Amino acid sequence: MIPIKYNTRNLRVRWVTTTLTVVGTAMIVWSSCLIFSLVEGLQHSMSVSGDPLDLIVLRKGSTNEVNGGFAKDTADAILTLGGIARGEQGMPLAAEELVYIAVVERNDGTHTNAIIRGVSPASPALRPKFEIPEGQGRYFTPGRGECIVSHNVSKRFKGAKIGGVIRVGEKQAYRVVGLFTSNGSAAESEIWVDINDLTRDIGRVGNISCVQLRANSAEDRAQLQKTIENDVRFKLSALEEQDFFAKQTATSDFLKVAGTLIAVLLTIGAMFAAANTMYAAVGARTREIGTLRALGFSRFDILISFLGESILLCLIGGAIGLLATIPLNSLSFGMSNFNNFSESTVTLRAGPLVMAVAMSMTLAMGLFGGLFPALRAVRMDVIKALREL
Amino acid sequence: MKYLHYIYRNARRNPVRSVLTIASTAVTLFLMMILVSFFNINSEVAEGFEKYNRLIIMNSEGFAGMVPISRVREIAAKPGIVAVTPFSWYGGKYGEEEMPFAQFGVDPTTIFSIYDELTVPPDQLKAFINDKAGCVIGRKLAEDRGWKIGDPLPLKGQIYSFDLNLTIRAIYDGPPDRDLRMCMFNWEYLDEGLKKGVSSAESGNAGIIVLKAADGDRLVSLSREIDDEYRNTDKPTRTQTEEAFTKMFGEMMRDLQWLITAIGMAVVFSLVVVAGNAMAMALRERTTEVAILKAIGFNRSLILNLVLAEAVLVAGLGGLIGSFGCKFLCDVVDISKYSAGTLPFFYVSWRTATLGLLVSLLIGLLSGSIPAMAAARRSVIQGLRKVV
Amino acid sequence: MDEAGFSIQLKNVNKEYRRDEFRVPVLSNLDLQVAEGEFLALMGPSGSGKTTLLNLIAGLDRATEGEVIVHDEELGSLSESRITRWRADNVGFIFQLYNLIPVLTAFENVELPLLLTKLSKRRRRENVKTALRVVGLEGREDHYPRQLSGGQEQRVAIARAIVTDPYLLVADEPTGDLDRASAEEILDLLQQLNREFQKTIVMVTHDPLAAQRASRVLHLDKGKLVSDLTQSAQIGATS
Repeated sequence: MIPIKYNTRNLRVRWVTTTLTVVGTAMIVWSSCLIFSLVEGLQHSMSVSGDPLDLIVLRKGSTNEVNGGFAKDTADAILTLGGIARGEQGMPLAAEELVYIAVVERNDGTHTNAIIRGVSPASPALRPKFEIPEGQGRYFTPGRGECIVSHNVSKRFKGAKIGGVIRVGEKQAYRVVGLFTSNGSAAESEIWVDINDLTRDIGRVGNISCVQLRANSAEDRAQLQKTIENDVRFKLSALEEQDFFAKQTATSDFLKVAGTLIAVLLTIGAMFAAANTMYAAVGARTREIGTLRALGFSRFDILISFLGESILLCLIGGAIGLLATIPLNSLSFGMSNFNNFSESTVTLRAGPLVMAVAMSMTLAMGLFGGLFPALRAVRMDVIKALREL
Repeated sequence: MKYLHYIYRNARRNPVRSVLTIASTAVTLFLMMILVSFFNINSEVAEGFEKYNRLIIMNSEGFAGMVPISRVREIAAKPGIVAVTPFSWYGGKYGEEEMPFAQFGVDPTTIFSIYDELTVPPDQLKAFINDKAGCVIGRKLAEDRGWKIGDPLPLKGQIYSFDLNLTIRAIYDGPPDRDLRMCMFNWEYLDEGLKKGVSSAESGNAGIIVLKAADGDRLVSLSREIDDEYRNTDKPTRTQTEEAFTKMFGEMMRDLQWLITAIGMAVVFSLVVVAGNAMAMALRERTTEVAILKAIGFNRSLILNLVLAEAVLVAGLGGLIGSFGCKFLCDVVDISKYSAGTLPFFYVSWRTATLGLLVSLLIGLLSGSIPAMAAARRSVIQGLRKVV
Repeated sequence: MDEAGFSIQLKNVNKEYRRDEFRVPVLSNLDLQVAEGEFLALMGPSGSGKTTLLNLIAGLDRATEGEVIVHDEELGSLSESRITRWRADNVGFIFQLYNLIPVLTAFENVELPLLLTKLSKRRRRENVKTALRVVGLEGREDHYPRQLSGGQEQRVAIARAIVTDPYLLVADEPTGDLDRASAEEILDLLQQLNREFQKTIVMVTHDPLAAQRASRVLHLDKGKLVSDLTQSAQIGATS
């Protein structure tokens, strides 16, 4: 085995070439990690659900809240079912909610579709770690045209700061009285308003998008699911939150495919770049290679050595690319949610998926990029190599 | 230009290196073409709509809002209008597939007078009009799934509680920059079904209304008239040209576009670095030769230009292959088929491909500049002294 | 062991190269026997085949026809990987251009052949130090080749060649790139290795003064042996 220091020192001696190749591969890995950070942020927001005892009740056959409306009378009937947990002051943890998608202006003047959710008093308790932090205002008071927005939303939409006014659609406007956080869950893309205010304002009396509730225990949850789904009057389905979010994969699927396409093509491009550098290295070290072979190092030793050097080179680039993603970690992006044509706020997140992407890219680059140059080193005729100047 | 021969030979001197540089440039630019086109197609298609003089009327609150069907008749009565149709998004499920293709409820008698760039054989059109439960589908959709006239097309309602049992009565065709994967059915069929059902409150929604005006000049005044008329009702409208409407969709992707732009710049930078490295390596091996040229009498700026030309040539070749290769690939192979419904069509325009080529030339220029300057400046004597 | 005590034997060896459809003969019908402990010099004009002969003996190349037997192995019958192994165990190389690895220190260069053995780190260290001492370079172990003079570099190369205590030392123009004084030092060292340590040495050289140090001088011309003189005879026939 040829010692590693042979490779590391060679990389150091030809530092200009090494640096340039490292920078090139780092940028490529960085780009791909960026997209996958978006994917991971999206997946995180979907997987951070609250209590496993939570259920979402929608109209039967529908898969998201916008298209899943049903009558208020039916919703009221659900609230009276047994097995629903109780919160502070004995209030049942069940909330009727109305989801409304409307045009909202961004800070830069362009428009987009945002999610406005009309909520009931129990809604905050049904979200993971919902809170309005110190100094970020207060919960809204119904009937006064007030709303609260997630902290992400407040950074991106016009008028979404505390005390400001958000214009929704053509006619509605709500005054922002507080900013909330919810552990990175889907709620953090939303604007919250009292459900009665919203119903009245948009003229959707008698219509509910969904009911969110928490069961008392796992048995109660199963029982509630059975009752709701089997009752012919209702024509509803009751999904556990995880299942609900699992169906909303359209956007993240799209991003994953796009991201993979980008990453694969970039890796191929980078392979050629790494190969270029390694070819030059092999060319410059022909006599050394001949000497090593003369001394008795086998072809395999030479192959592993150069392949290793290529992988090392790309690994350095890949590590830098990955690390460069980290400072961008809490950047918020507006992503089109292909499920309901609204805009979700996604926060970049560099987690295991991103690291796996970076790792596989660098290994592929180093391995395949270095393969042909290494083979060239191996196939050299020893005598010719020794004669080379 | 008499040096072209020499430049070419130099690039061929180390074929492996040149090929690798060209390959990495080509692959990267290929990718950029796909990404850039993805965003540009929307605005290019939008601009193409201008000549059709169409307006889109939607609820100003957004897609969740209703547009009452009665307004179709009201608008049709206005002067200067060729035809009007409702265009209601159904969003149904086909088998187990959710939203496999776009489905719209329309007025069969007017739809093709409005979208006159879409063609359908007259006998098929008549069959579509006469069968209330009939539908017309795009040619590409028919090809993708092997559907023929007379095949059933059952759709399960997701937004609406009424399922559609349609029969394919017609297949429409059109130019390559149109969505040829839509399914359009009779709006009345859906509405009657809804009225008989449980939640009749769902009925009567035209979705959006599309009209064609006889004259382009009429468009501005027409939009204002319509919006003024309905502004103070509980369902106010927003009327815009089809071009503006299409561009609105592009706006939704804004942040993603920013991301792709950032990536694009990073990748171009990476290419400059990589190509520059390759060029520098090549030159390091040629110091003696460059010194000899200088001794003969080639001056510095000539040397500089020769090196730059070589870099631009190599990068440009890569850009040519990547950009136009991508374009021709997308022209020949229908990429949108594999996009699982996200892209009704996909192509790389001449404009985008040319832009890609220009970017590659720029990459060549930037990457070659430092090695070129170094080669030009190195002293003759030093170069000659280098022991071979 | 075939004939009594020969370390190197060549029997009717032919070597030719092929350039497209042309066959270029380099060595023709060569017979040679070298005893252990001999210091052999190979001389001849350019193209005479002396380096090729050296390569055959060292196991770097294969004869087209005939037998090459070194240290009881018929080299032509060994596979590629076996002959590589054989080289590591049996041959020490000394090249004209030293061929040291520039990014390794003197110590690490000398250590290289030992990495192919199973010796422990400590044993390797001992052997390297010994080799460096023999060639007179103690104290320079941590220098890089570029920090050494030509003569010192060649001594490092010699240390590398002897560190595994090989059966045979093979040198291709060892003094070709050195000034007179350094060349003398190197030749002194080679003679010492031959006389004190009984190393069999085969050396290709242009330099008649280098050849004088050998115990036997072979002249080649156009691939054939044209003269084979032991040293005492050669002194009489000074060129």
